[in-house]
Amino acid sequence: MTHSSRSRLTRRSVLKGGIGLALATTALTAIGLPVPARAAGKKVIIGAFADGGLTPFKQKIIPLAKDAGFDIEFLEDEYGVTLEKWFADAKNSAGQYDLYLLDDPWVPQFGAANVLEDLGAAGVDGGDKDWIGSMIDMGYWPPQKGPRVKGFETTTPTLICVPFVGDLQTLTYRNDVYTSGAPKTWDEVIAKGKEGVAAGKIKYPVVFRGVSGNPIVTSWYPVFLSFGGSFFDDKWNPVFNSAQGKASAEFFVGTMKQNAPSGVVEFDSDQEGAAILGGEAGAIIQYSGNALKADDPTQTKVAGKLDFGVVPKQTSAIAQMGIFIAGIPKSAPNKANSVEFLKWYVSADIQAKLSEAGSIPVKRSAFGIAKPGNRLIPVALQQLDAGALPRPRTPDWAKVEELLGIELNKALQAGSGGGAALDNAAKQVKDYLTTVGYY
Amino acid sequence: MAKGGTQIRKYRLQGAGLDLALPYLMLAPGLLIVLGVLVYPLWDGLRASTKVYRYGSVVADAGMQNYIKLWSDPQFLNSLWVTVKFVALSVTFETILGFALALFCLREFRGIRLLRTILIIPMVITPVVVAIVFRLIYASDAGMLTAISVWMGGGQVQILGSPVKAFIGLVILDVWEWTPLMFLILLAGLQSLPHEPFEAARVDGAGSWRVFADLTFPMMRPVLAIAIVLRTIDAFGTFDQVFVLTRGGPGEATRLVSIYGYDTAFKFQQTGYAAALFVTIGLVVLALAFSAVRLLRRVDAS
Repeated sequence: MTHSSRSRLTRRSVLKGGIGLALATTALTAIGLPVPARAAGKKVIIGAFADGGLTPFKQKIIPLAKDAGFDIEFLEDEYGVTLEKWFADAKNSAGQYDLYLLDDPWVPQFGAANVLEDLGAAGVDGGDKDWIGSMIDMGYWPPQKGPRVKGFETTTPTLICVPFVGDLQTLTYRNDVYTSGAPKTWDEVIAKGKEGVAAGKIKYPVVFRGVSGNPIVTSWYPVFLSFGGSFFDDKWNPVFNSAQGKASAEFFVGTMKQNAPSGVVEFDSDQEGAAILGGEAGAIIQYSGNALKADDPTQTKVAGKLDFGVVPKQTSAIAQMGIFIAGIPKSAPNKANSVEFLKWYVSADIQAKLSEAGSIPVKRSAFGIAKPGNRLIPVALQQLDAGALPRPRTPDWAKVEELLGIELNKALQAGSGGGAALDNAAKQVKDYLTTVGYY
Repeated sequence: MAKGGTQIRKYRLQGAGLDLALPYLMLAPGLLIVLGVLVYPLWDGLRASTKVYRYGSVVADAGMQNYIKLWSDPQFLNSLWVTVKFVALSVTFETILGFALALFCLREFRGIRLLRTILIIPMVITPVVVAIVFRLIYASDAGMLTAISVWMGGGQVQILGSPVKAFIGLVILDVWEWTPLMFLILLAGLQSLPHEPFEAARVDGAGSWRVFADLTFPMMRPVLAIAIVLRTIDAFGTFDQVFVLTRGGPGEATRLVSIYGYDTAFKFQQTGYAAALFVTIGLVVLALAFSAVRLLRRVDAS
């Protein structure tokens, strides 16, 4: 009896304590008392996917932000899971993040779902002439230029994201193989690369990503653009299987594969990075995250032998842009801090610091500083001026890319049939977009 | 006894409604948890499968349209076919190997306990880790198979870039990881068989094959059926290993329904369609399990 009473009393007291604590917490939150953990500074919880392109930001800019009074919490995830995690966070108003560092093709998905704050209304100046125009354009939903998806034809474009780190594809090449500077054309890449192979300097003229889906499409895209291809017409009809598109695909799965490592069909960024940094390949088109490793002797066996250039051309030298772009979820717990942080971060001064730290800035003035922290930065500006295009601004890009990537990968396995692969993919894309109401 | 019964009745009458309700009240928290954790997600999934989602929100009722659409979706049909092949091959090999190992380990000899322990190690390793290990074996540029091949004077070994080899590679991974589960279940089954029929057969001079065919196998049939059903259900849900190793490629060669469903739900944001896909797969697996159990009963009855 005594034991039983004591036991009941203990449970009751635990319950009482728990309920009391819950009520107290709720009451404190309701009346808006500051939570001690957030009192140290202007708290900003930044979500990012793991990528080498953010290393200078993490190492150099976050400490500056702390000096400026921001209490930055930087949460990283693997690329593949970030989209689903953040989208769920935003849709369910979970409020786990103040700022998402999105990959720019995700902007239409978040924009269409209407889960991000209007940054223009919050005071971020989208009209500042110092922005790299093609970068700030990516922050608007619906897009200011180009075709719009159904349901958003008459909607006023809103600035829901601001460019955060300017990332785009450039060429990395071996200066002991391409001795007269960056190869200007794809033919030169292959011809001089073969000479390098014959001279025993490299094993393969090129290397790229061949894995189905996003990786292979990302590698093929600059080839496609340089051959003069375009993806959709202004009514969202796929036109990537034009003569130019097919020529680029045939070149990609044929000539490029023949001059790449035999396992290129299964290569993702790790393997292509290993091939160029390990001294096996002569040239590669890649984003800055991997390109930045070219001068790091702890990462490469051929430090000093790797230089950067504009992507090769067939008819033009156009790269794919894939910038890090920041959006504030409507459910952000520290919204005002996030806006203040973004304004601070995109100021000319801090962008100059970012450039000094070795990262590609998003403001033009920061490209012109006396000592950019990386040789890639001036090349990136050359590439921007030569031509760099974002992926089509549709919330359905992931599916489109998947359908195309599977067909391209099958053709790459076969080593031929790139044109037919584009025809198949175009049909599938058209069917898919029809089912989701594009036409 | 009668006096006790009267006392209970009296007690119940005295306690009136509260006493009658007490057992239910005590069960209520558990029931709520079961409803919340098990039933609600299932119900929500079913509900979602009848909706059309666009940009993360419900935009229309679909009725059975998502279910109907599945059967004209070449990507779904391909992933279903890949899954069926994967499950059939994996479970077959796992059953044969697991049974053979269980028969071998039934015998008592020096070191048998250590051997039994070693045999179940693959099963206890996290699937993601297993996939990473196999990636380090299969990768054409820096994989172990290529290293061995080059050391022996050969060239690069291409596994993950070839549809057939990548598929077989995935089956090998699954067999390596899950044969121990079959081994464990079947060994337990073998150890629980009665000794008498075997001793009688031995006295009658029956050979090993005859003992296996006439005694061991028939007596093990229920355990085998349970093991196969359990493993089949589990294999239909294989995800982690493929996600890490191939992401469904090359092409669509290893794209199991789980991967296609994941992409559909999270990458393509087609929540309703993905829900219909998973409900369909759930029903297929349920039908398979029921069929297996019915078949087993019929075989036993005959």
